[in-house]
Amino acid sequence: MAFIELAGVTKTYTKGEVEVVPLRDVTLAIEAHEFFVLLGPSGSGKTTLLNLIAGIDRPQQGTLRVGGVELGKLSSGRLSDWRAENLGYVFQSANLVPVLTAYENVELPLGLFPLSRAERHRRVLLALEAVGLSDRAAHLPRQLSGGQEQRVAIARAIVADPPLLVCDEPTGNLDHESAEVVLALLDRLNQERKKTIVMVTHDPRAAAHGTRRMVLDKGRFRPEEPTR
Amino acid sequence: MRLVLLTSRNLKRRPLRTLLTVLGVASAMLLFVLVESLSAGLDAALSGSAAARTLIVYRQNRYCPQTSFLPERYQRLIADVPGVLSVLPVKVFLSNCRASLDIVVFQGAPPAELLKTRELELVSGDLARFEDQSDGALVGREFATRRRLAPGDRFRFGGIDVNVAGVFRSSEPVEEGMVLTHLEYLQRVGPVDRLGTVTQFEVKIDDPAHGQDIAREIDARLRTAEEPTDTRPKLAFLETATRDLREILRFGRWLALACVAVVLALVANTVLMSVQERVKEFGVFRTLGYRPSRVVALVLGEALLLGASGATLGLAAALVIIRTQHLSIGSEGVPVSFLLCGAVVARGALAALGAALLAAALPAWNAGRREIVASLRSA
Repeated sequence: MAFIELAGVTKTYTKGEVEVVPLRDVTLAIEAHEFFVLLGPSGSGKTTLLNLIAGIDRPQQGTLRVGGVELGKLSSGRLSDWRAENLGYVFQSANLVPVLTAYENVELPLGLFPLSRAERHRRVLLALEAVGLSDRAAHLPRQLSGGQEQRVAIARAIVADPPLLVCDEPTGNLDHESAEVVLALLDRLNQERKKTIVMVTHDPRAAAHGTRRMVLDKGRFRPEEPTR
Repeated sequence: MRLVLLTSRNLKRRPLRTLLTVLGVASAMLLFVLVESLSAGLDAALSGSAAARTLIVYRQNRYCPQTSFLPERYQRLIADVPGVLSVLPVKVFLSNCRASLDIVVFQGAPPAELLKTRELELVSGDLARFEDQSDGALVGREFATRRRLAPGDRFRFGGIDVNVAGVFRSSEPVEEGMVLTHLEYLQRVGPVDRLGTVTQFEVKIDDPAHGQDIAREIDARLRTAEEPTDTRPKLAFLETATRDLREILRFGRWLALACVAVVLALVANTVLMSVQERVKEFGVFRTLGYRPSRVVALVLGEALLLGASGATLGLAAALVIIRTQHLSIGSEGVPVSFLLCGAVVARGALAALGAALLAAALPAWNAGRREIVASLRSA
């Protein structure tokens, strides 16, 4: 059984009076520890698919299982708990809380677990160390560069040690150098910590980091061969 | 990351807005607490346990102590009425018959009878000195605190110069705002020099159940005298005397209600703006695994913190004003102090927190229920 399984998934929404179908009868399997890259033109449904896998949106039709759990059957509260335990989400912009330091931003997901203060401290330091920002722990987001902010966001995504990382254009707002640092970090998380990563990108250089790439076009898949 | 820390940090995003809201809540709470303190003070003034066993004999159709003159010799006539235990002639002098924020009430009575009749407990000073000195005065504890008086001090008001012989506490709260002097001294030095007359008689009776009958009998016996009387139970007398104040308080209650509405509007406005600015952030929280209830709690927590900060500031300001300004409003010779008791503090805090919670309820509910994807798309 694959780690992520979508079978006959359809997602529709209305925009004004027009019905939009970003995903139509999509079937997909992603194995555990894969670095899966989703490519496609704007409006092709990439982010919609990512949001479904992340459990922040629900399909109208079809089934979606992640780690053996059928997300569509979970209540809103249980789905929140599932996300806290299983998901790290990296947004295109870091989306850090501006009034919290890097340390406090990374600590945010741990507030949902019954952990001691010492254990939270240990985990936050480990996460910051993993992204190479231990020395920026006390900095506010506005005191960090774009690349550093995104690395703090990655630290926040991995601090609770979820098996799945979902990244929506994580390098979209970064310069080439910062983007490479972030992509190398995702490579390491995939290879060393065995995280399953699903990443949406427009950038072919970013896409090259994936172990498998697929192109989504008008709500349907066009597969590509693995790049490495 | 504790919710409280996150809540307090969020309020620092817009420090000026937060400060203005807290100041607004504090101002509203100050007014609310002052009105409630006056109401509590009035209730306390009328709460004496001996009031039920005491009748007040007053000049008929007179309402201000400055216009009630009864011959002192009525004391013997009243004492003969069946059911009467004792009769205390009292001369009253006060700074103002109408509502005033700094009323001074002198009551003069024969010292020995006064000490025997009134349930006074000396806090400091010397009773013998009071009895021996013609200008000696016993000062109620509340008045002494308000005017910072201690035994040995001289105190002068309206031409009446007294020597503070002692400070007392009383089972009748209303008495703690008064200055007690010798009857003759007050008759002589008061602005209206009418020896042989008093303002009222305080009549102790054997059974409160017979109060109305005894009052009727006293008035009947003095109906054809040169100064006819109007006798009432002390509680009824006090209630009549403070009627003006109660009317003001009724209006004050509307003001207090308006204060709660102001708190509600201020907090609602601030929370609404804060939530609108952070729609995306709430989407991020939800993505991290925060349940809708946690987002609701976060928003409500901010509102509570605003309300609590404003209430604390308002209560502190009220405390400072009441303590330093020594406010005591009076009506027809009944002094009523502003009483900032636990119940008033609790009512103020509850009003502020309740209004804050109510104000934030809808924005919090919306923030918690909003679709995550829609929140993340928000600018």
